[in-house]
Amino acid sequence: MVTKQVRQIASAVLLLSMLAALLAGCAAPAAQTGGAAEAPAAAATTETASAADAAPAEFTFTGWAINEGASKETVQEFIDAYTAANNVTINEQAFPWSEMLNQLVLQINGGTAEGAAQLDIAWLNTLAATGKLKDLAAYTEGRGYTEAGLRSGQVDGVQYGLPWTTASIGLVANQQILDAAGVSELPTTIADFEAALEKIKAYDPEIIPYAGMTALNGLKDLIPWIWTFGGSVIDADGKVTLGDEGSVAALEWYKSLLDRGLIASEMDRATARQLFSQGKVAFYDDAVVAKGIVTTDTPIENLGDLIVPVPRPVLKEGDEPQSLLWGHLVVVFDGPNSDAAAKWAQHLTSDPETTITYFERMALPPTNEAALQSETVKNDVYMSAWAEKVTATARMNPFWPYVESARMESILAEQAQAYLLGGESDAAAAWQKAATQISELMQ
Amino acid sequence: MIKQSLGSRILLYSALAVAALFAFFPIYWMLATSLRPNSEVFAFPPSLLPRTFTLEHYQNFIRNPQLLRYLGNSVLVASVTALASLLISTYAAYAFSKFRFTGRRSLMFLVLSAQMFPQALLLITLYLMFARLQLLDTYLVLVLSFTTFTLPLCIWMLKGYFDQIPNDLIEAAKVDGANQMQIIHRVLLPITRPALVATGLFAFMRGWNDFIYALTLVSKNKQTLPPGLVLTYVGEFQSQWADMMAASLLVSLPLVIAFVIFQRHIVSGLTAGAVKG
Repeated sequence: MVTKQVRQIASAVLLLSMLAALLAGCAAPAAQTGGAAEAPAAAATTETASAADAAPAEFTFTGWAINEGASKETVQEFIDAYTAANNVTINEQAFPWSEMLNQLVLQINGGTAEGAAQLDIAWLNTLAATGKLKDLAAYTEGRGYTEAGLRSGQVDGVQYGLPWTTASIGLVANQQILDAAGVSELPTTIADFEAALEKIKAYDPEIIPYAGMTALNGLKDLIPWIWTFGGSVIDADGKVTLGDEGSVAALEWYKSLLDRGLIASEMDRATARQLFSQGKVAFYDDAVVAKGIVTTDTPIENLGDLIVPVPRPVLKEGDEPQSLLWGHLVVVFDGPNSDAAAKWAQHLTSDPETTITYFERMALPPTNEAALQSETVKNDVYMSAWAEKVTATARMNPFWPYVESARMESILAEQAQAYLLGGESDAAAAWQKAATQISELMQ
Repeated sequence: MIKQSLGSRILLYSALAVAALFAFFPIYWMLATSLRPNSEVFAFPPSLLPRTFTLEHYQNFIRNPQLLRYLGNSVLVASVTALASLLISTYAAYAFSKFRFTGRRSLMFLVLSAQMFPQALLLITLYLMFARLQLLDTYLVLVLSFTTFTLPLCIWMLKGYFDQIPNDLIEAAKVDGANQMQIIHRVLLPITRPALVATGLFAFMRGWNDFIYALTLVSKNKQTLPPGLVLTYVGEFQSQWADMMAASLLVSLPLVIAFVIFQRHIVSGLTAGAVKG
């Protein structure tokens, strides 16, 4: 009898606990407090903000640069210097670059996103659509941001992000391999490019002439090639144009490179970098930071002097070389202490001393005129060449204006790979499938 | 007893050798990579043996205080998860095995159904719930979420073992005046040690290996090794494969050692209840 009563009580307690947990989960979002990192501390600050004007403003700075080997110490220095000079406490929260977007979306949905966060410019529209980002237009005034940088942080004219670095993804080459293979001049047209690749292959079959992306996670690099062949991916009216003459020609050409052994299958950016650093790749696509990455742990002593930025070859003389805009932003979430977080974002991205130091150590181009006009930046030959030859004509990824941009890129990559690997025999049909799926996502 | 011909034995051993090659080559490659200098990791053509041996990647792990902190967090969270899972699942499995009550079967399948949802999907729900309960960024939140996922299988594993224990043994204990708690603690637990070891190790491994929950629910200083290693070695501009391989080998050592020590218990514990006698 006693056992039965105990069981009934235990069942009731269990049921009540489950109900309590369910209610807690379904309750309306609490006022934005902290993220997963230091959430209780941030919440406490929120509650006592009005009573303690002298207390330091506390917010979280989320990013991958906080924890990545090359940038970790530099960013830490910036945080330490800023908190020492200002009445703020910055809680650091790091996620790997590959997980960053998912984590931020989860935090926004959980009502825990607060402070400032580092973003890849590709993710801005997705986050802006959540309605949780602060308009930072007021924080751009008098800071000398470049027009291109500011545009990369805007969605429908609203300044949601402050540009931290703005550059592009373009072609780089190993000059030593080109010289050895008899490629006397950088190729400017597709025909020249193919001829150069053939020469390199003939010179040394172990060298991959062009480590163009063929793995799923890198096939978005096809977009500038589609532009090169006259395609647009998405036209001015917002219609998906994959399957048009230019996009089909680009994909068929890319497959012909694969069939001829001029590019390799399953190539992703990390592999391309590693092989380039070993002197086993002549051309590949990368961001402006390529030089800093491939010269780490390379057995080639002077690789830094051998790497050259290459304007993407064009279909016919006179066409504009194509490249994808690339960069990082800092955004701020609406909520308590968002002003303090915005001032930190402003300092990090536009203080000349801070941005020049970041450039010196990370080779990431600054986005404010004062830093760009500094001797340090102007005297960097590689960076100047990149800015003139590659970034000058860089364009935004056509998928970025859409909330589902990441999925759209995946669809493009999946269909392109299906054709490259022979699963789909017709380039036009592959693009047509991609166009249909992407159009559905747009709606 | 069927006598095997020489040919069939050669075939069998060849098949086993191929299977072993598939299983162990990646581990060998991890080891070989961890012993090469960075400049040799992507050398082409690759070589089976490192051309230059180095222990620098192992030293990097040991000298990195943040990695040691991740290691400490992993030990703490995985151990508490294993203990909590064992504690709860022992009583639950005993109840499911030896008591007959209304809704028993439905409840058992309900418990198991938690395993049918993708964990990444549950993460969203759990994150929202833990955020409301102000539990984010605590060790407790990791233990709670890991235990949630280990319990169903732990309960079923132990139930299988309890099912094998004859009810006569329990009846005899009752005749001797033992109550339910005494029956569990003094009669059943000593003879279920293999199952407890297997179940505990399973729960420990779940806590040890999880990536996405440990990355999402807590901040850097409370994260465990899997997210810690990715945070440390893989990024937008970096892929320190040799360091990562060395660290991965080092952190898998405790599990390997545990498996070697408890091998006999694990096999008998895992197969308990698999065959009705």
